Amino acid sequence: MQNISAVIMMSGTGKLPQKRKVPALPENEKKLYDLIWSKETLGIWTADMKKETGLSNNAVTKALKSLQSKGFIKDVVNIHNKAKKIYMAVEFEPSKEISGGTWYSEGSLDLEFITILREQCRLHVERLKVATLENVWQFIRDSKVFYIDFSLQQIKEIMSAMVLDKELEELISSGVGDFFHIRAGRECYRSLKGRDGPKEGFFSAVPCGVCPRINECSPDGIISPNTCVYYQKWLGLDY
Amino acid sequence: MVGQQGVRYTISLIATHFGDVVAKVCECLIRRGSLSFMEVVRFTELHKGQVKDCLLVLIQHNCVQAFSIPKTVGMGGATKPVTLYMAIFDNIIHRMRFSKFLQIVKEHLGNQCAELLEGFLQHGRLTFELLYDRASGLSGGKAKRDDVLATFNKLVHAHYLERCPKGDPFLESDANDEVSFVRKRTRSGEKTWTIEQEAIIAAAPSDADRFSGILNLMMDTEADIKHIKNDSSLEVSAGNKRKHEALEAEEEIQNTINTIDVLWRANYEKFVQCLKKKTCVANVRSRFGLDAAIVLEAMIESSDHQNARTMNSVSSSMSSIIESVRGKPGGLSMTLEHVRTILEQLECQVCTEETGALYTVGLKDIIENCQNDEVESLVFKKYGKESYRIFRLLIKMGQLVPMDQISDKTFLEKKEAQKILCKLWKDDYLDMEKVNLNVRGRSEVFLWKVNKKVLWELVLNDMFHTALNISQKIAQVNEEFLLSNADVQKLERLRRARLILESSLLKLDDAIMLFHDF
Repeated sequence: MQNISAVIMMSGTGKLPQKRKVPALPENEKKLYDLIWSKETLGIWTADMKKETGLSNNAVTKALKSLQSKGFIKDVVNIHNKAKKIYMAVEFEPSKEISGGTWYSEGSLDLEFITILREQCRLHVERLKVATLENVWQFIRDSKVFYIDFSLQQIKEIMSAMVLDKELEELISSGVGDFFHIRAGRECYRSLKGRDGPKEGFFSAVPCGVCPRINECSPDGIISPNTCVYYQKWLGLDY
Repeated sequence: MVGQQGVRYTISLIATHFGDVVAKVCECLIRRGSLSFMEVVRFTELHKGQVKDCLLVLIQHNCVQAFSIPKTVGMGGATKPVTLYMAIFDNIIHRMRFSKFLQIVKEHLGNQCAELLEGFLQHGRLTFELLYDRASGLSGGKAKRDDVLATFNKLVHAHYLERCPKGDPFLESDANDEVSFVRKRTRSGEKTWTIEQEAIIAAAPSDADRFSGILNLMMDTEADIKHIKNDSSLEVSAGNKRKHEALEAEEEIQNTINTIDVLWRANYEKFVQCLKKKTCVANVRSRFGLDAAIVLEAMIESSDHQNARTMNSVSSSMSSIIESVRGKPGGLSMTLEHVRTILEQLECQVCTEETGALYTVGLKDIIENCQNDEVESLVFKKYGKESYRIFRLLIKMGQLVPMDQISDKTFLEKKEAQKILCKLWKDDYLDMEKVNLNVRGRSEVFLWKVNKKVLWELVLNDMFHTALNISQKIAQVNEEFLLSNADVQKLERLRRARLILESSLLKLDDAIMLFHDF
């Protein structure tokens, strides 16, 4: 999984080819190939091909098969609609709109890979107590856990998601104490181990806080605190 | 503005404490706004005597304030003052916090002070004489007058007690004689007040009077009597003009309000301020550690804010912070450098004045942090981890965010993100805007944001609903408790359930305060 992801990550940003090779092809195939090539990193859906070229269903299917077997085009997964088959010239890599960006593989989020990278980031922040983005980025590069290079932006995306999950917190360095190795005023990260995740709220601790029927509940109604099964369970009165 | 559930909860509080008839009068005032005595009689369909008694109970317990406004009788007729009664929503809600108020005083000034305060919380307004009688009665006649006076003065000097506001302040009016509770006035061209807010301001004693304790009992009482007599002579003269038209019952209310004895009451503002301080300090302690909590507490204590709602930030000089820090357990060992580092950690603003540098810490941000925590925890428990991540992102960004950006930043599949966003939007946690674009074959883009103002009101309304539910359940458990006197196991279960409910209600009130009082 990791290897697949790595390949995707290195080439998943929709690169443009240097020069177009014009192959000798039968008329229908050439017409289709020109159209597909003109769509560059966005690719084109088969239904749109039929509409734009005016070719019959059979002719398009046959030409696509032939072009694919000759290695001129490829099919790519569209993350917005996996059933919608999109074709693209082999010289292009799908744009972010089609592939979903750097963290996607085969049209799906590469969750396993993201989890490993998050774990590595967390480990390094915990090792240093407080770390800057650059510290973590450098550590990931030096650790050789991954055989590809991540950009600073990619590490920032991961760290920001960890801040949203309250695994890390974003701070401004004071330059002293735990922050001694970071210049005062710089943005840095600290692990929230032990107090990570959401804080237990006062309201959410009561059944009504998360009750899906709160709007139907009234003192004398069918649903009321006196008849509420959630209350009985919460209070240990469901005997 | 408090929602329907807040109103229901206040009415249930009054019904529990004073009975259904008083609750009916209170409900009438809360729902319809300020009303005259006759209007209350008409709307509640109660006897004049009953309404009079109910109003007196509510005034005695600081839940209602009377005020007079001039009103023109008939077309081009003479102007005469009319007394209106308004319910004070906040003071009614504070009734569920009395145990917290007592705890504050117990921790700060000890048990004796807490016992005196209990008298005010039980009876609303008391003169010193009544307070002394109560203390004497409770101690079996052992309480010495001087000791009670010293304890009482302690409470006044710490601002836990205050002199009661004027019973029936007269509000000057402009040409407009139609009085509506939503009428607005502009003062100094900046702030807009409702007539009720103006009445509260007009009724409030000056700061010097409000907290001037009783230094010498005999002298002070005489001086007070003179002072009040002067005050009441003004009010009586105003009252005389309308005496022949006023109803007998209304006169009795006026006489009770305008008593010549100095009345004292618990100063709720001070208690709310203490609770706000406690909340801010606890939040900072959990985020930055014990030392940071000590510094923040010192900063709040060295500032002289009176009102919790306006205490959005506090400023202190380094010397007062240090002085206050040194007076705290654990503060003695803190160096100047350490305090300075903590002030930076708390993101204090520094401004240089003639007297030296002033450090300002934003309490508003800390409270906002607590509010976010509360709602985020709700989202987590109700909708799950992914929704929590999306919600936190939108809170952090504070603006409309396109769907694609949300799924990218939260590492969620587009379809999943869309599903979550729609669910949160349906339950009014999010606002959505559709923008028509014709870019790259996509015609519509959905933008999402958290509308804090609307959501916070919704959450507060649900909190009041929950408080009402818990109170109802407590009443049911109490009833069952009385009926099942034989079954020991059942009794124990009910006792435990009541304990859970009561402590949950207190904690829920902490959350209500975050959204309503701070």
